[in-house]
Amino acid sequence: MSSRRRCHGDRDAASWLAFAARTPGPPAPARFGGRPRGVLPRPVVVTDPLADRDLLRRIQDEVAVVGIGHLPFAKDIGRPIGDTAVEAIQLALADAGLEAEDVDGMSMLEMEKTHEVSIARRLGVRQLTWWDKISYGGGAAAGTLVHAAAAIVSGQASVVVCHRARNRGSKTSRPWAQEKELVTDDKALHVPWGLIRPVDVIGMWARRHMHEFGTTREHLGNVAIAARKHAQANPFAMMRGRPLDMPTYLAGRVIGDPLTLYDCCLETDGALALVVTSLARARDLRQKPVLVHAGAQASGPNPVHLANYNNCPTMETTAKWCAERLWARSALKPADMDCAQIYDAFTPLVILGLEDYGFCQRGEGGPFTEGGRIEIGGALPVLTSGGGLSEAYVHGFNLLLEGVRQIRGTSVNQVPGCRATLVTGASGVATSAVVFRGE
Amino acid sequence: MALGDVLVEERLHPDYPLPDLDDPIMRPFWEGARAGQLVQQRDRVTGAVHWPPKPLYWKGGDRLEWFPASGRGTVFTYVVGREPFLPAFRHLLPHIMVVVQLAEGARIVGHMVRCTPDDMRVGMPVRVVFKRLTDRATLPVWEPDRD
Repeated sequence: MSSRRRCHGDRDAASWLAFAARTPGPPAPARFGGRPRGVLPRPVVVTDPLADRDLLRRIQDEVAVVGIGHLPFAKDIGRPIGDTAVEAIQLALADAGLEAEDVDGMSMLEMEKTHEVSIARRLGVRQLTWWDKISYGGGAAAGTLVHAAAAIVSGQASVVVCHRARNRGSKTSRPWAQEKELVTDDKALHVPWGLIRPVDVIGMWARRHMHEFGTTREHLGNVAIAARKHAQANPFAMMRGRPLDMPTYLAGRVIGDPLTLYDCCLETDGALALVVTSLARARDLRQKPVLVHAGAQASGPNPVHLANYNNCPTMETTAKWCAERLWARSALKPADMDCAQIYDAFTPLVILGLEDYGFCQRGEGGPFTEGGRIEIGGALPVLTSGGGLSEAYVHGFNLLLEGVRQIRGTSVNQVPGCRATLVTGASGVATSAVVFRGE
Repeated sequence: MALGDVLVEERLHPDYPLPDLDDPIMRPFWEGARAGQLVQQRDRVTGAVHWPPKPLYWKGGDRLEWFPASGRGTVFTYVVGREPFLPAFRHLLPHIMVVVQLAEGARIVGHMVRCTPDDMRVGMPVRVVFKRLTDRATLPVWEPDRD
């Protein structure tokens, strides 16, 4: 493991803090009569010797997750996401030992129509001074933390709640089953031909990967079986009590050849939240701080939402570009990760993610899953709570909570002495990822 | 059988996800299909083919042109859809959706006709066929190129 680097201790830090806060310069001396009329003051331009304007590169470990909470997952949770969001945030605040009055920032993974102000009002937040929403489904979860970290170090908020509430357990709520209007924009590139179910969009990647690299159904099965195995210890997992073995996996009902039922995530109602604050404040709170070591978002070049088949000659996923930024911002490297929560709406995404994030070379993701390597006790356990395949599918927000538990040491499938873990969003869509570590 | 053969969808489902033919960026593509031609967009200056197509005001305008593509390509990857599927496509199951690597360079999404799942191979040559959905809407689709 690399030695601990505390960037905020290196005090040319004053210069980047000034940049981050965009502190206006001092007023011109009065003897010159102040500034000319009609000219507004300009922010001070801080000359950085490294010409490095990437704030995220310089805030490693400055921000910590201090609370997590979620409602029990369900096929039908029975109430609107505007309500379940508030309940989940309350649980996370209680976990942190904070009150709603302490919250002044909100970042949400949202594709529906809920509003920050409504959630804040129901929660009892005094006032929001910063908020945002990130869409793009499975690509977004870690992005909420990336934004929250930037908001906290730039002083826009002091305590941020990040959340996802999602009601998708019942069949009628699935957006792909509801195309009624003329198809336009990105969707016009694939939906009129019937390429609309996410399983088919991802199946295209799987088939190509099999063709190029010899990836097999058994490789995909290793992912499904690892997730299912991990779910057996998780009292919240939807698939607890329903173990999966390879013969059953291989006999799975075909949904979109080459993918079958067991390659697909669940459809679940859920609500989950994290509480984020500065490390200094985190040290005074109840839980062991889980440091946001690095985070990144990337769309990749020439992006199309979902059917992203023209972004490069070799058909690599958006996560390749996200990983480049993530590791450039990180003092840790893939080999330092004691486990990983690789986004798993469909099993091939885990194989792609293992490659994209540098745990193996391109094309090696299939063999990487062999021999129990990705199961608990293996070299890189993945999806230690069961993930979207076997715990709950909530656009990957549950992976963030599991990453936090691994660093705290409280996972039901605890990796002994877990020091650092990677949590990723979907390979393929505009995505995000974050590295957690302990102090 | 001539390249660019025309099929007619006889059983168009009321919920078929028809494309917006008046979308300003995609309109030349749909108009080309209706006229029995697969068209692609390229940069006049560099010759680079753009897919998805760019808006005509891209880089200040006057850079882009649409041109007739060969209508030939190879299967880059494909998926065979089974139930549960959208009602508008159920009569086509098993529905072979495909990403075609065009001879001109782009990869475009389509579906196969006159072909079974057993015929499918990554890399196999395919050629365009036009499938009329409505008076105005025609989809470029693909068949094995056995020539």
